[in-house]
Amino acid sequence: MSVVSPATKPGSPATKPVNLERRSLLSAIRPSRAILNIVLVVSAVFWLVPTIGLAIISLRPESLFQQSGWWTALTAPSQLTLSNYQTLFAQGLVARGVLDSLITSLEITVPATLLVTIISSLTAYSLVFGRWPGRSVVFLVIVGLLVVPIQVALIPVVQEYRVFGDLSGFNPFGTIPGVVIFHVAFGLPFGIFLMYNFYSGIPKEMLEAGRIDGAGEWQLFRRVALPLGLPAAASLMIFQFIWVWNDLLVALIFLGNNKHATLTIFLFEQTRTLAANYWIISTGAMISIFIPLIVFFSFQRYFVRGVLAGAVK
Amino acid sequence: MAEIGTEATPRARRRAAAVNEGGNPGGGWRDHLGSLAFLAPGAIFLLAITVYPLAATARNSFYDATASNYVGLANYKEIFSTSSILVTFRNNVIWVIVFPFLVTFIGLVYGVLSERIRWSTAFKTIIFMPIVFSATASALVWRTIFDLDPHIGIVNATIQTASDWINPPGLYPVDPSAGQSVAGLVATGVSAGPKDSLESSSTVTAGNPVELGLIGISPATLQLVGAQTAVVPTASPGAVTGLVWRDFSPSNPTARGQVLPDELGFPGLKLTLLRSDGTSAGTAVSDAHGDFSFGSVGSGSYKVQIDSSNFSSGFTGIFWLGTQSLTPTSSLNQTAQALLSVPLVDISMILAYLWIWAGFAMVVIGAGLASLDREVLEAARLDGAGEWQTFRRMTMPMLAPVLIVVIVTMLINVLKIFDIILNMAPGSSQGDANTLALAMYNFGFTGGLGNWGLASALAVILFILVIPAIVLNLRRIRG
Amino acid sequence: MASVTFDHVVKRYTSDLTVVKDFNVEVADKEFMVLVGPSGCGKSTALRMLAGLESISEGQIRIGDRVINNIAAKDRDIAMVFQSYALYPHMSVYDNMAFPLQMQHMKKAEIDKRVKSASSSLGLGNFLDRKPRALSGGQRQRVALGRAIVRNPQVFLLDEPLSNLDAKLRAQTRIELQKLHRDLGTTFIYVTHDQVEAMTMGDRIAIMNAGILQQVGTPGDIYDHPANIFVAGFVGTPTMNFVAATVQDGVATASGFHVKLPKALPAAKGILGFRPEAVTDRIPDPDSAMEMKVDVVERLGSDQFLYGKVGGDSVTARVDPRIKVEPGDSIKLGLDTRTLHFFDSETELALL
Ligand SMILES: Nc1ncnc2c1ncn2[C@@H]1O[C@H](COP(=O)(O)OP(=O)(O)OP(=O)(O)O)[C@@H](O)[C@H]1O
Ligand SMILES: [Mg+2]
Repeated sequence: MSVVSPATKPGSPATKPVNLERRSLLSAIRPSRAILNIVLVVSAVFWLVPTIGLAIISLRPESLFQQSGWWTALTAPSQLTLSNYQTLFAQGLVARGVLDSLITSLEITVPATLLVTIISSLTAYSLVFGRWPGRSVVFLVIVGLLVVPIQVALIPVVQEYRVFGDLSGFNPFGTIPGVVIFHVAFGLPFGIFLMYNFYSGIPKEMLEAGRIDGAGEWQLFRRVALPLGLPAAASLMIFQFIWVWNDLLVALIFLGNNKHATLTIFLFEQTRTLAANYWIISTGAMISIFIPLIVFFSFQRYFVRGVLAGAVK
Repeated sequence: MAEIGTEATPRARRRAAAVNEGGNPGGGWRDHLGSLAFLAPGAIFLLAITVYPLAATARNSFYDATASNYVGLANYKEIFSTSSILVTFRNNVIWVIVFPFLVTFIGLVYGVLSERIRWSTAFKTIIFMPIVFSATASALVWRTIFDLDPHIGIVNATIQTASDWINPPGLYPVDPSAGQSVAGLVATGVSAGPKDSLESSSTVTAGNPVELGLIGISPATLQLVGAQTAVVPTASPGAVTGLVWRDFSPSNPTARGQVLPDELGFPGLKLTLLRSDGTSAGTAVSDAHGDFSFGSVGSGSYKVQIDSSNFSSGFTGIFWLGTQSLTPTSSLNQTAQALLSVPLVDISMILAYLWIWAGFAMVVIGAGLASLDREVLEAARLDGAGEWQTFRRMTMPMLAPVLIVVIVTMLINVLKIFDIILNMAPGSSQGDANTLALAMYNFGFTGGLGNWGLASALAVILFILVIPAIVLNLRRIRG
Repeated sequence: MASVTFDHVVKRYTSDLTVVKDFNVEVADKEFMVLVGPSGCGKSTALRMLAGLESISEGQIRIGDRVINNIAAKDRDIAMVFQSYALYPHMSVYDNMAFPLQMQHMKKAEIDKRVKSASSSLGLGNFLDRKPRALSGGQRQRVALGRAIVRNPQVFLLDEPLSNLDAKLRAQTRIELQKLHRDLGTTFIYVTHDQVEAMTMGDRIAIMNAGILQQVGTPGDIYDHPANIFVAGFVGTPTMNFVAATVQDGVATASGFHVKLPKALPAAKGILGFRPEAVTDRIPDPDSAMEMKVDVVERLGSDQFLYGKVGGDSVTARVDPRIKVEPGDSIKLGLDTRTLHFFDSETELALL
C-alpha cells in the first residue's frame, strides 16, 4: 500500500493503491482511439446506407432501376432527377394517391395527437392533484394497460362501432374519427403515464399556493399545471405524432373501405399490387418519412425525453 | 399562568366533519366531482376502447367465426393443431430469443463507445434516426437492400463483387438456376465434357484445323466481348489450330456446321489441349475471330477442351427474404418442420428491425450510463480496477436495471411484431415468416368475413404472453 | 373581525394515525401567534387545516364567527407563505403577485397598483419582470410575502418561511416580518420549529408536541412558567436542568444538593427543574450550594457554560466568563431559588 512507484506523478496522493502493472497491461489491450473511431465510422455508414439508398432510388429514373445499382449514382450524380416526385405530385389529389394519402395521414395524426395530449394531461392532473379515493389503483390499472397489445381490442371495437352506428346513425367504422378514437384510446396509457410522472415532480405546494390564492380546479390546471407541464406535453405530442403517423394496422382496419388511405396504407398497397414499382414505393416512402424527420430534427431533445420517460410501450 | 393544552382536561368531542381519509377540505364531495370531471374523458376512452374490449375478446375467443355461437375451446384447439399457425409461435420465439438481447447488446456497445468520441452527438443522431421511420417504410427500404438481383440489392451486389474477385465468372455465363446448361450449347464438332466443360467430338492432330460450333449464346453477350466475324483458321505445321464460332447465321437460321460470313467467332475462350490420357498438353485463348492455336505440339492425337470456367456464372444472388431454413429440418415431418426450422427471412427481418431500434437501446442505455455515480467508478479505479474490470464489476451491475428495461421493452415490442413482416416478407415467404399478431390480422380481417373467433383466440394468447411484462411494470412502479 | 378559533380539532389520516389531537386555540384579531414544536408534531397540519389544504377530521375551525370546515380554500380569504415559497416558476415576479388578484377578477389597474405598492415596499421593484429562478433566496422569500400581502387577507399564514435563509438574513427578516405585522394589522399565524423565532416574534406562542397542544402563552409566560416538562425543556438554550428529587418539609433533595422550595408541595417525589442561568458562581444561599465536577467547558465570549455532574445528576451552569475552569476541576456553585420549577414525575405537569 505504501509503495510509491517512481512513475507516480508529482502531486498525486502517495497512498493511492493503484496496481500499476495491471493498468498498463489493460491499456495495452485497450483499443486505440483510431480503431474506436474507425469502428464507429463504419457503423455510422452502415446505418446511413439504407436511408441514402432510399433517397437515391427515389431520385433516379425508373429506367435505370433494373440496370444498375443505386450506388452507381454516387459516382455519377447526373443520374439524379426529381422526375419521380414530379410525376407523383402531378397526379394531384386523386384518392389513394400520394398527396391525398399525405393529407389523410395528417387528418388522422393531428387530432389524435392533440386529443391524447389534452386528455392525458387532464387525467394525470386528476390522478396526481385530485384527492378522490382510489387514485393509486386507477394509476396502476393504467400502468397495466401500457403494454396491452392493440390486437386484443380490434374486433370488439369494430363491433362497438357497429352498435354505436345502429343507435346513433353514425358508424365510425371506415371513417377518420373511427381511426382517431382508437388511436386516442391506445395513446392514453402512455400519455397519462408520462404526464403523471411529470406532474408528480411538481411540488404539491405549488398547487396548494394556487388553491389558497383563490384558483379553482380548472384555473389551477390551466394556469399552473398545464404551463408547468409543457415540456412533458411536448415530448408526448412528438411521440404520439410519430406513433400515429407510422401506424399501419389501425388505419388498415378502421379505415376499411374508405376511399382515402394513409401514407402507410399507400405504401403497403403499392408493394402488394405493383410488386416491382420501386420508383413509386421509394418516392412514397421518402415522402412518408419526411415529416417525421423534420419533427425528429427540430424537437430531438423532447423526443429523446419522451423515449426515456416511456421506455415501456 | 399559562393556558394548558386540553389533553389534561378532556371534554366531550364534537364531530363537525366526517372523517374522509386523505381528506378533501372545503368543498367536500363537490371537489371530488371536479376532479372526476377531469378524469372522465380519459376514463371513457380507456373503458370503451381498451378495458371492455379486452373482456369482449376473451369472450369472442370461445365463439365461432362470426362471434355468435359458443364453441368452447375449439379455436384454441385449432391453433395448437394447425402447423401453419404453429409457425407463428416458432417465429415469435425466434424474434423473442434473438432480437431483444441482440439489440440491447448493440445498444450497450454503441452507448459505451460513443461516449469516448468527439462526434458522439452526430453518431447518436445517425443511429437513432431510423426510429422515426415507419416499420412500413423501413421494411420497403430493407426489401431493396436484400433484393435478390445484385443490380438492385446492395447486399448481394457486395457479395457478388467479393465473389467475382475470388472466383470471377466466365465470359459466357450459363446460369443453371435459370434453366440453362452447358450441354445445351453444343452445335457442331463438340460434345459435353466432364464438369460443365465441352470438348471436341473427334480427336485432333497438329496441322489439321478444327472447327467447334456453339449455339445458345446471346448476341448481346457477344457484342459485349467484341466478337468479330468467324474466320476459318489456317493449318500450321506442328500446331493445333482451330475456331470456336457461333454456329448460327441470322440470314440462314437453319444452316449448321458451316462457317458462314455473318457468323461470329467467340473471343476470349480459355481452351486446353488434352492428351489421350486426359493430361494437359497446353492452353490457348481464342482471339476476336474465335481462332486459337496450340503451338509446338508433338505428333499424336489430342482433344480440344473448352474449359468450364468460360461458362461459370459466378455469384447470382442469395434470396435473403426466402424461406430456406438455417437449421437442417428437411428430413422432419411437417409439424416438426414448422416448429424447428429457422427461415432466412426471419434473420433478414431481424437485421432490419435492429436498424430501427438499436438507436433506442443506445439512447436509453446512454442515459443510464450518464446517470451513474461517477465517484463510484472513480473509487473503483482507485481501488485498482482496470477499465474492463470497472466496466464489468461496477458499470454493468449498476446499469442492470436499465438493461432490463430495454430488454423488456424490446421483448414486448417483438411479441407484437406486425408491420415489418407484412411489408418485408415477400408473398412467397409470408407464410413462413408469419407471427401471432400478423396471423391475428389475417384471420380477423382478410379473406372475406374473417374468422373472429380464431383471431380473438390469437389475441388472447398474445395478451397472456405480455402479462409477465405487465406484472414487471407494476412491480417497478410500486417499488 | 379575524380571530381564528380551533375548537377541538382532530386530524386523522387513518384510523390509527392521528397527527393532531383535540387542538384548542383562540388567536385574537391582529395577533401574532407562533405555533412551535419539534419536527413532525403536527404544526403544519394544523395550519393546513386552517388554510383548507387538509380536511378536518373532527372539531371546528372558525375565522371570526364563520365556521370554515366546509369552505373551499379559495373562499377562506387567507394567504399563506410556504417554506419552499411555492412560487410559480413559469410566471414573472409581477405575475406571481398578480395571480391571486386575477383569481378574484380584480380590475387590471387595481392589480397593478397593489402589485407595485407591495413590491416597492418589499424592495422588489426592480425584479418584477424576472422569473423566480433568477432571484436569490431572500428575494424569492419576499416575492412569496408579496404574493400574500397584495391580497390584503383576513389571516396571514406562514409555514417556516425563514428556514431556507442563511442565519444573517433570517435575523433581518425576522425583524421585517414583525414590522410587516404591525403595518398590516392582520392576524398572523406563524409556524416554526425554531424556539428563538418563536420567542422573539410571537405575541403569543402555542407549543405542540406529538399532535397535542402543550401550552399557549406569551413568550415570557412560557419561559418563566412552563406548564410541563416538555415545554420547560423545549424553550431555552441550553436546555433546563432536570434532576430527580424528593421533597420533605419544603426541602427538595437531589443526589448532590438540596434546596428549600418557595412553596409547600403535596408530592413527595418529583423532578426539580432549573435553568442553567440559575446555577452560577455567585452563591446567594449557602444551603443550596452544590459541588460540580466539570466535564466540558464551553466559552462563548459573553457567557461560559459548564457541563458536569452534581452528585449523580448532569447539570449545566452558566458562570462568569472570566472564571478559569478546566475539565476535571471541581467548582462550587450556587442556585437561584427564585426560578425553581418542580414537576410531577407521573403527569409531568408543573407543580411550581
Ligand atoms: N398525507 C399524510 N398522510 C399521513 N401522515 C401524514 C401526512 N402528512 C403528514 N403526515 C404526518 O403527520 C405528522 C405531522 O406532520 P406535519 O407536517 O404537521 O409536521 P410539522 O410539525 O409541520 O413538522 P416540520 O417541522 O418537520 O414541518 C408527521 O408525523 C407526518 O408524518
Ligand atoms: Mg411543517
